Amino acid sequence: MNAMIDDETLDRQLREAAPYIDDDGFTARVMARLPAARREPRWLRAMILMGMTLLGSGVVYLLSGGGRFVREGVIQLSDFPVWLLLIFAFGCGLVVGAFAVILAIRKTPEVRDLARLRF
Amino acid sequence: MELTDADLVARVLADDDQHAFGELVRRHQSTVRGILRQLTRTDIALADDLAQETFIRAYKNIRGFRGEARFSTWLYRIAYNCFREDARRRKELVGVDEEQWQGEQDPQTVDPGLRHDLMHALNLLPLHERTAVVLCCQNGLSHDEAARVLDIPLGTVKTNVLRGREKLKRTLAAWGPN
Repeated sequence: MNAMIDDETLDRQLREAAPYIDDDGFTARVMARLPAARREPRWLRAMILMGMTLLGSGVVYLLSGGGRFVREGVIQLSDFPVWLLLIFAFGCGLVVGAFAVILAIRKTPEVRDLARLRF
Repeated sequence: MELTDADLVARVLADDDQHAFGELVRRHQSTVRGILRQLTRTDIALADDLAQETFIRAYKNIRGFRGEARFSTWLYRIAYNCFREDARRRKELVGVDEEQWQGEQDPQTVDPGLRHDLMHALNLLPLHERTAVVLCCQNGLSHDEAARVLDIPLGTVKTNVLRGREKLKRTLAAWGPN
């Protein structure tokens, strides 16, 4: 009777016992059975987004009295000391950067899994 | 540079790009068909039918893939569900189920020519142990991934792998030359 083999050897033998299966037309058969692709033009989504953005901007412009608040905001900012403007810019950069990092982590499974690790 | 599975999935999601999906099928067809052949006990025609069904379901439901697991893990889960549904249908139609089939198999009556065939030893395992061994030992899934595929607790997967391995080792040892 053979001695019992170890786990590693058994796993290796199992992997070797299951060779690569040639495609042999399998992919073509699957592709032939797929439902027809959506033929929604790519530019349509871009046009809708652009249109909504322009519409929103127009509404805000009209409701704010021709964008007066923007002019007033810029004038107020110009009265601030330079060091305060630098801090303001740095703070804005931090907030935008933090959002970018959060979005990047959410979109990258490898990084997200690392964040879940318990030490 | 070769596109990753995630890149290809993104193309399918963004543009319904069937060429990208075709590449995913080409990449994973061997493993999916291999797993299904093990689950169906080397019934190649049935396994290939189920594999086709798996990929078609994957295409139809690709928006449900949230990228929390690997694409392959998600695909194996669909394959396993296809297999289970088919097994249930067969049981209802012809009244033959896995346990009954298992009862008909006796290692002592196995063709001596197949005694060294590891795949045959694998086929003698009960379905739950065979599935766990095929996923974890043969296809390199972690216990956690296998638990997601099979939708069972992690501890159950570990137990099934352990028992399956021990049975395989015993069978192989018994089949060895005296």
